[in-house]
Amino acid sequence: MFLLWCLCAVATVAHAAPTEPAPSAPLPPYRDPYTPTVDDEVLQQVPAASDPDVLQMKVLRNQLHRDSSNLRIAHQLARAYIEFGRQVGDAHYMGYAEAVLRPWLKQPSPPAEVIVDDATILQFRHQFEEARQQLKTALAKDPHNAQGWLTLATVDMVQGDYDVAASECSKVAVTAGLTIGLVCTSNLRSYLGQAEQSKTLLTQIESTADGQPPTFVSWVEGLLAETCERLADWKEAEVHYRKAIALTPKDNFLLIAYADFLLDRNRPAEVLPLLQDSVQSDTAFLRLALAKAALRSPDLPLYTWIMGARFEALAQRGSDYFGREQVRYALYLKHDPQSALMLASRNWEVQRAPWDARVFLEAALAARDPGAATPVLTFLRQTKLQDPVVDSLIRELARLESSRGSAS
Amino acid sequence: MNAYCWLMRTLLAVAVCALIGGHANAHSASDAFLTLTVQKKSERKGEKKVLRAQWDVALRDLDFVLRLDDNGDGDISWRELRAHQKAIAQYAYRFIHVADSGGGACVLEPRRQMVDYHADGAYAALFFTIICDPASTHLALDYELFFDVDPSHRGIMVMRSGDSVATSVLSPDNSHIQIPL
Repeated sequence: MFLLWCLCAVATVAHAAPTEPAPSAPLPPYRDPYTPTVDDEVLQQVPAASDPDVLQMKVLRNQLHRDSSNLRIAHQLARAYIEFGRQVGDAHYMGYAEAVLRPWLKQPSPPAEVIVDDATILQFRHQFEEARQQLKTALAKDPHNAQGWLTLATVDMVQGDYDVAASECSKVAVTAGLTIGLVCTSNLRSYLGQAEQSKTLLTQIESTADGQPPTFVSWVEGLLAETCERLADWKEAEVHYRKAIALTPKDNFLLIAYADFLLDRNRPAEVLPLLQDSVQSDTAFLRLALAKAALRSPDLPLYTWIMGARFEALAQRGSDYFGREQVRYALYLKHDPQSALMLASRNWEVQRAPWDARVFLEAALAARDPGAATPVLTFLRQTKLQDPVVDSLIRELARLESSRGSAS
Repeated sequence: MNAYCWLMRTLLAVAVCALIGGHANAHSASDAFLTLTVQKKSERKGEKKVLRAQWDVALRDLDFVLRLDDNGDGDISWRELRAHQKAIAQYAYRFIHVADSGGGACVLEPRRQMVDYHADGAYAALFFTIICDPASTHLALDYELFFDVDPSHRGIMVMRSGDSVATSVLSPDNSHIQIPL
């Protein structure tokens, strides 16, 4: 299937050309619109009808069709779309969920759960401020909405507002139960230089997770993997990644987190089979391209070109939510540190998760501009993020700065 | 599943996405590409104003509304697409209307369908001709494709007339546009 897609990809480039292909890149193989000649030629992959999630969405869609004013069914369908879209990494499903919720969102006073769903969609699109406003509205209507508190904590964590997120995690514990509240808090601690405590908490939760839904256990395993990375315990991190992926093998977020782990460990060859069925996901495609770069693969120019075409298509529609990925694309595939630094700086205004800090520092280092990283370094000093890769970048930037100081 | 488990399950949709790496949405949303080319005078039908159009609509989007993948195996083959070409035309052309500057409807003449590719996959390329009143100084384009099922859909329009190129992003908030001829 992957080979097939690659053949298709050769043809994809006809209309989505990046404005300025790298001079060193070969001309992309163009293909004009055509009429296939072989009946069995596969043109496009879509979710298979037998997929249990697809079946569930179909059942709910039919139910809503028969009873279009039923809020309970609409809410279930919207959540099914959101969850599926999140899992396979496909923004189309956020649009489908939005359409389902629209009749209620148009009401003068929409139900709290509908507003929370809308905020979840906004959060996926990185419209964090709009999401936050919606969540505050929903929680004013229903202060016991656990989903609302968890989403709000998530938004504030992604944007680096950790004090606020801490109090929201407390609300999560009150409304959703202690376990989920602890997961929320432990994740926060891993951002605040308390990865060891985070690991202890998560390990305790993991040990009592028997019988819980696989998605919950996978969530805990994924967080444990990341926490172990913060502690430079690569071996244990990998064990947790593998456990998580075994539980939820389609999960796009986990797959790319593990792919990043493999890239960091200089194991790019393993990224290719891991993501072979995820080539339609832009975030997965970037990791494949980075793996191709690390392997010095002859088809790297094609991967770079397609990645550029996808970003260009996003820019055309006015979407700009791949900041972190765009930095890595500019830095490692286009070898353009100045653009990467500009993109990193723009991304930092929107997102402040550890990966956002990391790509900013990498861009500043590549651009040999340690001063540009000041906002990130200040933030990291305040939050005390513990991360071996980030720590090493900070040291390199300091060395660069001091060598300049001694040279002048 | 007890109530506690159910609660956990419903909470996870949002939780995992941002708490693991805070990674972005992985796949771009739905786009269609509409390219209009004003024909030179010599190519016009009589004195009518004629535009040639290519409208690329993603097979994934069409599958959501028309179910192109008949056997449900997760692959849309050329056989399956061909069997739905009539339905695709019937569906898509309902959502695009063009009027001349006097308010009269222009005629849309579907010509053929082919397959095209963009960076995110395969598209049905719908070729058609737009024929308008000769006195028309501009066109009013009304575009509503997929907005009822996916408000995040965008129509990326490119209009070529001689050497000039104009572009517009069609959305639920920008679904009626005026195009000078």
